[in-house]
Amino acid sequence: MKKDILIIFCVVLVLAVLIMGTDFQSVDEYYLMHLEDITPNSETVTLSIRCDSVLTHMDKLDASLHDYIPSDGVILQPTQYVLRPGDTAFDVLHRAVRSRKIQFEYQGADQNLLGSVYVQGINYLYEFSCGPDSGWIYLVNGEFPSRGCADYALQDGDTVEWIYSCENTQYPQGGDGT
Amino acid sequence: MELLQVENLTFTYPKQTTPALQDVSFTIADGEFVVLCGASGCGKSTLLKLLKREIAPHGEKQGNIRFSGVAQSELDERTGAGTIGFVAQNPDGQIVTDKVWHELAFGLENLGVPAPVIRRRVGEMASYFGIQGWYHQATDALSGGQKQMLNLAGVMTMQPKLLLLDEPTSQLDPIAADHFIDTLQKLNREFGLTILLVEHRLEEVFPIADRIMVLEAGKLICNGTPGAVAAQLRDHPMSRCLPSAARIWAGLSVDCPCPLTMREGKDFLHTHFSHRKGAAVPVHQPILEQPVIEAEGIWFRYEKKSPDVLRDLHLTVCRGEVFSLLGGNGAGKTTTLNILAALDRPYAGKLKIQGKPIGDYSKNSLYRRNLTMLPQNPQALFLKQTVHEDMEEIRKSIPDFNGQVERTIQFFAEKYAISHLLEKHPYDLSGGELQKCALVKLLLTKPSILLLDEPTKGMDAVSKAQFAKQIAELQAEGVTIVMVTHDVEFAAQVSTRCALFFDGEIVSAGTPNEFFSDHHFYTTAASRISRGLFDNAILCDEVITLCDEK
Amino acid sequence: MNAIDRLHPTVMPVYFLAILLVAMFVSNPVISLLALLGGFLFCMTQCGLREMRAELKFYIPLFLLMALTNPLFSHNGVTPLFFMNGNAVTLEAITYGAAIALMVLAVLSWGKGFGRVMTSDKLVYLFGKAAPQLALMLSMSLRYIPMLRRQAKQISRAQKVAGMYSTESYFDRLRSTFRVISALIGWSLEQAVETSRAMRARGYGLKGHTSYSNYHFRRTDALLLTLAAILLAVVLVGIGMGAVDFAYYPAISALPHTALSVAVYTAFGCLSLLPSCIELGEQIRWNYYRSKI
Repeated sequence: MKKDILIIFCVVLVLAVLIMGTDFQSVDEYYLMHLEDITPNSETVTLSIRCDSVLTHMDKLDASLHDYIPSDGVILQPTQYVLRPGDTAFDVLHRAVRSRKIQFEYQGADQNLLGSVYVQGINYLYEFSCGPDSGWIYLVNGEFPSRGCADYALQDGDTVEWIYSCENTQYPQGGDGT
Repeated sequence: MELLQVENLTFTYPKQTTPALQDVSFTIADGEFVVLCGASGCGKSTLLKLLKREIAPHGEKQGNIRFSGVAQSELDERTGAGTIGFVAQNPDGQIVTDKVWHELAFGLENLGVPAPVIRRRVGEMASYFGIQGWYHQATDALSGGQKQMLNLAGVMTMQPKLLLLDEPTSQLDPIAADHFIDTLQKLNREFGLTILLVEHRLEEVFPIADRIMVLEAGKLICNGTPGAVAAQLRDHPMSRCLPSAARIWAGLSVDCPCPLTMREGKDFLHTHFSHRKGAAVPVHQPILEQPVIEAEGIWFRYEKKSPDVLRDLHLTVCRGEVFSLLGGNGAGKTTTLNILAALDRPYAGKLKIQGKPIGDYSKNSLYRRNLTMLPQNPQALFLKQTVHEDMEEIRKSIPDFNGQVERTIQFFAEKYAISHLLEKHPYDLSGGELQKCALVKLLLTKPSILLLDEPTKGMDAVSKAQFAKQIAELQAEGVTIVMVTHDVEFAAQVSTRCALFFDGEIVSAGTPNEFFSDHHFYTTAASRISRGLFDNAILCDEVITLCDEK
Repeated sequence: MNAIDRLHPTVMPVYFLAILLVAMFVSNPVISLLALLGGFLFCMTQCGLREMRAELKFYIPLFLLMALTNPLFSHNGVTPLFFMNGNAVTLEAITYGAAIALMVLAVLSWGKGFGRVMTSDKLVYLFGKAAPQLALMLSMSLRYIPMLRRQAKQISRAQKVAGMYSTESYFDRLRSTFRVISALIGWSLEQAVETSRAMRARGYGLKGHTSYSNYHFRRTDALLLTLAAILLAVVLVGIGMGAVDFAYYPAISALPHTALSVAVYTAFGCLSLLPSCIELGEQIRWNYYRSKI
């Protein structure tokens, strides 16, 4: 019985490592990110990350996170990034947080029921960190896309906003919620 | 004052034409100790169960049963349950709960007695029956004797006026049985408890009873004092059940009151047959050759850290012998059988069966036409709906039996007079019948070595006599029999050699006549009675012959 | 000479639940450690040193495995140590895994000790308070199980010696097991008929059933329950006031060490160590009295 429990644990551990792969990087290696310089010819998108809705719901916020919420609710000011061919909303976000060394955690498309990449936390702010309805959503040009962020191919000049919502995650990150 | 009155009781089971009880009438006075006996199937259990309304069998009933003058059907529920106590045969079947203390309290809880009163009565009973030492134990951990004592105590806490007991000692070893009977006698003497006991081992209860009743085929044929009943049964087949002293008396034509106890028997012989002093039973040394079981230096224990059960056991049994192992509980007798049957493995020692080391028997070849064992509980051999179906399975254990199975079954069934039982369900057979069927089932494999574990447990005198005859026949056919038993009289009757087991080894062995004459305590009643007058006489028949010789 | 064993059956479950409640819902390392310490000592007094040493062989690998598994699935935390497949393995995640493992070990050791103390008698008694019929059924099953096991052994041995399916082959063993089980069903039905007859003979089913137990609620029990209640109250008030709040994400917070939080630690420590102290006190007293003789 006890042996079984230990064995199950070991198997889970080994499987997890096998599935996820064993690509180790040091912290510096990971954050060392090459970003293309913006030239007049390059296609660009504008990205911003905000959590201002938390400011009006401070009572619901995890006590341990108080020190990590920017006072103006802006984690990333609207910034232009070069659009690489085939870039999705997720790719640009991933590049941006890495270059800025912003803490970031996501679920791969194979790990959840949405069948799409799901952003769990940015800057220590996770889904459910601020009430049961809270989580990350995104807008492109002011509208909620109906697709997952890793399936949404961006176009030149698009404006992408990642917003931490405390009330409405009915359509989490563009999926239909199923 | 009459406590129980039975008038013209006739009872017929459903779908039966002949009544199980016919016109039975008797009364039992307050404070009496009455023993009811009779051959298996004579209706004694039925009668006893009818007296306890809560467990009375279904069927057609005529006549009256009155308890303290009140008709049975008019008794109120609490009186019915509480004032008539019932103890059945099987010690295990009656225990309801998992702990001894709970078992003692169970009846009182049902009667709705308040907890402080239960505490007092349970405490009282536990002290009286010597249960304090195992009061907190699990009921399952008790020995058979303890279980039956617990059943008695559990009934006694309800303070019954009348105690009914249905062969309560038949599953117990002789020491536990004696203790149980002693306790009954004490309850009767010291508390005036009225007892009606159904029993087939009469050696101990016959002398202490106030009255004996004998049932035969549903009719009450005797009802009187022990002496009177013994005289009445003098030429009856039931005389076999009488105590040894009475049997010796019955076999000799001397005109005097029937002796009942061992002492009276001794006095009887010395008064009437002192002129035969010094007569002896000739001792025949059996010819022992062709050893089939050879055990040398066997050591065994159940677990690594538990004590040794067998210590350096040496045992040789030869072809055609009936070898009886006697001894107290836990001496290692049954363990020895299990080792001979390769069910348990000794950690040291050599064991050869038919000259071949036991480890060299591959698969189940040891059990094919070679060695087999009759377990203590023969029910374990029967798994099917009818006895016949179970016997047919022999086809599977011995594949080269082609086409002869049915003929062989019929042959044995006729030989052992069990043809009428073949289509019955194994659970519906009496102890003796089941034993016989089990033996036949095993004989189908044509074994040359037969191991028997307590074969006479729960058998009445008549079945026992039949069984002894079967053993003699098997012996004549060259079958070797090793038997573990508590039944001294039976061992004396059928054995070629007997051995006393003590503390994991055999401490003495010899022919029954030598063996039982040498022992002072572990011996037959006839030997104890005739000791000092005759030499080597161990059976009632032998004593009678010596007395009768000119 | 088991002091805990003598307590009334209601005391230990109440006590056990209190400890569990606090240990499972407060994520403060001091509380977890105190719960583990108390549970381990309690187990030691109930099961003995030898058994606990064997138990450690399970606890330590379990602790390590749980501590290592958490960072694979949780990447939160301000101190990334390295990145694995693009996800951070953080100091906070490892620490949190260790803390959870500590809590699980505490619960396990309390559960083990509790299981040793709560004998079947006590469980049956507790059930009896709620549903007398259920208690009787429980008691009867506890009686039947060993009997069934014994009968199963008898049947399979008898069948083996009779030459039925007694080879060592897999097929034979399967068949034989199947046969034994089907025979056991018939046997237990037969046994049930006999038992129900014995129950009726002893008045089962009459109206106005009472129930009897060997337990008394003594002054010690009341005292212990009151003490536990007071300690628990202090702990709960402290928790309610946030005196022992502790966070692992995103950064490991500083251990609270205000006067109130120290009071909570002390109260919970007392609560957790109480049974072992009672047991050890008994042992010491016993040795003392024996040395006097």
